[in-house]
Amino acid sequence: MNAHILAKCQRFIESLAHMRKLKMRVIRADEKSITVVLPVQEQLINHAFDTYMHGGVLTTLVDTASSLSTIPALKEYELCPTLDLRIDHMSTPVLSQPLYAYAECYRVTRNVLFTRATVYQENPEKPVAYAISTFMRPGEGNTDPAFKAMIDGDNVEEVN
Amino acid sequence: MDTLQSLVSEAHETGDYQPVIDLIPYARVIGVECERFGEEMIFRLPRNPENIGNPTIPAIHGGVIASFMELTAAFELTLQLEQPALAKIIDFSVDYMRAGLDRDTFAMCKIERQGRRVGNCTITAWQDRKSHPIASARGHFLLDTLSSFR
Repeated sequence: MNAHILAKCQRFIESLAHMRKLKMRVIRADEKSITVVLPVQEQLINHAFDTYMHGGVLTTLVDTASSLSTIPALKEYELCPTLDLRIDHMSTPVLSQPLYAYAECYRVTRNVLFTRATVYQENPEKPVAYAISTFMRPGEGNTDPAFKAMIDGDNVEEVN
Repeated sequence: MDTLQSLVSEAHETGDYQPVIDLIPYARVIGVECERFGEEMIFRLPRNPENIGNPTIPAIHGGVIASFMELTAAFELTLQLEQPALAKIIDFSVDYMRAGLDRDTFAMCKIERQGRRVGNCTITAWQDRKSHPIASARGHFLLDTLSSFR
């Protein structure tokens, strides 16, 4: 666990309207990986078709976790757009348990970041889904400076 | 699955697909809508500040776009089956081509091959024009056994 990286990830996730809507949280972060949780919540449950609770939302969870895993991989925050994302669904998640996504960025090049992610419920050894993704690095100076400073945790000095 | 079957036939009769879409809670959360033009269905994701995932542009969350496309395929398959059953996802792969801006997004699904058990789909998502896609995706879906026995 790395408190500095965790704080950066939390600032990122909390700044996104859609993450707040889904109550998604980063629960672990270290130099190599991050873990995100999607809590059980009424707005995602249809009691008539309970097995389909996660239709679509698992994709959002995986995309978020993969994107967050680029934070520990880079010294300073860069807003990296997703190039592609592929998910294999191994089994249907149950509705009574939260969904966890563990993601790591396993390769960083000058232009591209490569990530992989696992989605599980009770047992990380029994994933419900696997995903791989690539992200484009924006290039120096192409991340909004105020947003970068907010994520990195620097004090933003207002110069007027 | 009687409820689904009657919901689907009623939707085809009235042209109001919302009751079918609302079966999947996340489709309701992000606000998916559907309209039929002849035999073609166009899915719409209306502009929604709660779907933002990049506050600097601002742009729609990439996961929301992918989910919208995945749901487009699931609904297209479900509504096209002779005996409707919710299609279950096997795999999904999306390529992002442009940022999805904070405005309405549209998607269409083409069923490339529908076998007895598996459907193969390609999905295109766009904002200003279809020939200018923001993302394209492909996926496989398991069709419920109930429907494949026919």
